[in-house]
Amino acid sequence: MATSELYLCAYSTLSQKQHDRDNQVMMPDSVVDDVLLSVKNISLSFGGVKALENISFDIRKGEIRAIIGPNGAGKSSMLNVINGFYHPQDGEVWFKGIRRNNLKPHQIARQGISRTFQNIALFKGMTTLDNLMTGRITRMNTNMFWQAIWYGRAERQEIEHRERIEQIIDFLKIQSIRKTPVGRLPYGLQKRVELGRALAADADLLLLDEPMAGMNIEEKEDMCRYVLDVNEQFGTTIALIEHDMGVVMDIADRVVVLDYGRKIGDGVPDEIRNNQTVIDAYLGVSHD
Amino acid sequence: MFYREAGEFKTSYPADQQIFPIALDRLGVKIVLVFAFLVVPFIIDDYWEKSVLMPFLVWSMAALGLNILIGYCGQLSLGTGGFMAVGAYAAYKLMTAFPDLNIFFVIILAGGVTALVGILFGLPSLRIKGFYLAVATLAAQFFLVWMFNKFPWFYNHSASGQITAPERFIFGVAITGPEAPPWATYLFCLTIVVLFAFVAKNLTRSVIGRSWMAIRDMDIAAEIIGVPPLKAKLTAFAVSSFYIGVAGAMFFAVYLGAAEPTEAFGIEKSFLVLFMIIIGGLGSIVGSFIGAAFIISLPVLLKNIMVGGLGWPTDIVQHLIFMLIGGLIVFFLIVEPHGLAQLWRITKEKLRLWPFPH
Repeated sequence: MATSELYLCAYSTLSQKQHDRDNQVMMPDSVVDDVLLSVKNISLSFGGVKALENISFDIRKGEIRAIIGPNGAGKSSMLNVINGFYHPQDGEVWFKGIRRNNLKPHQIARQGISRTFQNIALFKGMTTLDNLMTGRITRMNTNMFWQAIWYGRAERQEIEHRERIEQIIDFLKIQSIRKTPVGRLPYGLQKRVELGRALAADADLLLLDEPMAGMNIEEKEDMCRYVLDVNEQFGTTIALIEHDMGVVMDIADRVVVLDYGRKIGDGVPDEIRNNQTVIDAYLGVSHD
Repeated sequence: MFYREAGEFKTSYPADQQIFPIALDRLGVKIVLVFAFLVVPFIIDDYWEKSVLMPFLVWSMAALGLNILIGYCGQLSLGTGGFMAVGAYAAYKLMTAFPDLNIFFVIILAGGVTALVGILFGLPSLRIKGFYLAVATLAAQFFLVWMFNKFPWFYNHSASGQITAPERFIFGVAITGPEAPPWATYLFCLTIVVLFAFVAKNLTRSVIGRSWMAIRDMDIAAEIIGVPPLKAKLTAFAVSSFYIGVAGAMFFAVYLGAAEPTEAFGIEKSFLVLFMIIIGGLGSIVGSFIGAAFIISLPVLLKNIMVGGLGWPTDIVQHLIFMLIGGLIVFFLIVEPHGLAQLWRITKEKLRLWPFPH
């Protein structure tokens, strides 16, 4: 696809979103049968520090759900609860309509949740291609014997998954750095490779922890297009944490706002924009 | 000019994912293998076998094993000597208990036994990392050597406390025992080392190898994207111990012929292998070979040059060698902290573009 065509496509996606959202306001709140993941009354504390208090919200299939809040609000802790790195003291996580017990993070990844990290957590010694192939590990399985002789099932599987990985490489336009160790790449590209690694799992739910942190305006625009395209083309449900309010209000379908471990707002971007509690939390309230 | 990949276009993923993607690399490996298998056995003599080739093969095998654990999976271990002892004693017990068992299978089974022991001592790695894990594996080193001294069952109650390899044959040719011809022991060990070098290469470029490297580079992220840490770490310990066990079995049965645990498998052997992979290159298969060659053959080479060539007195030469080797290790680590394999990689990258630098 020519580059300009892609850009056009991204812009039209943007306006399409805008349109959808205007309609969505009318939708009754009772339509919840398409919920992919819901957290109910989650409370998480570390010793005496309460990171999350009684948080409940849901993520619907196919939407882009933003989690925002000031620093230390508990956004990343929330993601860590969702992918099982933290086990909350109280509350339930329901995924695909099933209540989840205390699973290990790698088992949860296998159920179809993948994520990127706030501080890039790529495998620095490995090439871009190997990083993406590792991201696909939940879908690969062969016994070590065949891998050792690189024959039969193991070889076929490598080729088969390489084809899917190459589609993702094309999608993210990182063909030229395919064989470069990611430690040598600049920051913006590393962020993109990390998105690719999360995509490689073909997960149902993609958690993005500040995908645009530390980027300039052009890189942010690129990243927005990738996020929207992933949502549109692959139908992936996305939950993202982001500090850039412009970005959040533009691309998110619904927003949940956390502050000091409590939920202070939940709704479509327009509601959030006019919510007095949220404005106070972000701007601070004068004490006089 | 002569080493480059320009002009080589891969048109399929199988072609791009083969074990040596660059044509000249394939040619080089073939030449080395043909030379090692078809030329060396005809020119090998007792001296070359005992002081250069056999130690090189045995220690390459041990270095390969340790490199899988430290270089690929990032789990620091100082138990190499102990695991080699497990391989040696397992081989000895198998040889004496089943006299008809082929020596090849004895060596492989000895590796298998070591793999099980390795898994056992790898369990702490699920809780502790880095230097603390190194200390935990140090316990394996001392415990295993103590155990082989303590319980006479392991050395069949022999009066000397030593284990001695009985004579075993393959196709009517002695492989172990004092009568074994140099070319036979050499070919036997070469076959095993080459075979398992390819296995190591394959493992490290497939799913299991990638999960090892993921654990090494960023263990928490690896777990969150779906790498089971328990499986990755324990398989690394198992595979690594298997290699080290095979090395220990070859060291005892084929190379030494007789061994005593404190002497042959002490802590200094653990460090020797560790130095090999640090100098050769962590996380590199070829680095294991380069490191072993460097540590094993350089002293022999220097000794031959200085005593044989220049006619200097042996004791002075001995001290000079210590100084020179130490100096070279420091020099190479300053020039290239990632080991000789990285130096080799950079040379190849430069050669690909030479004579045009851009």
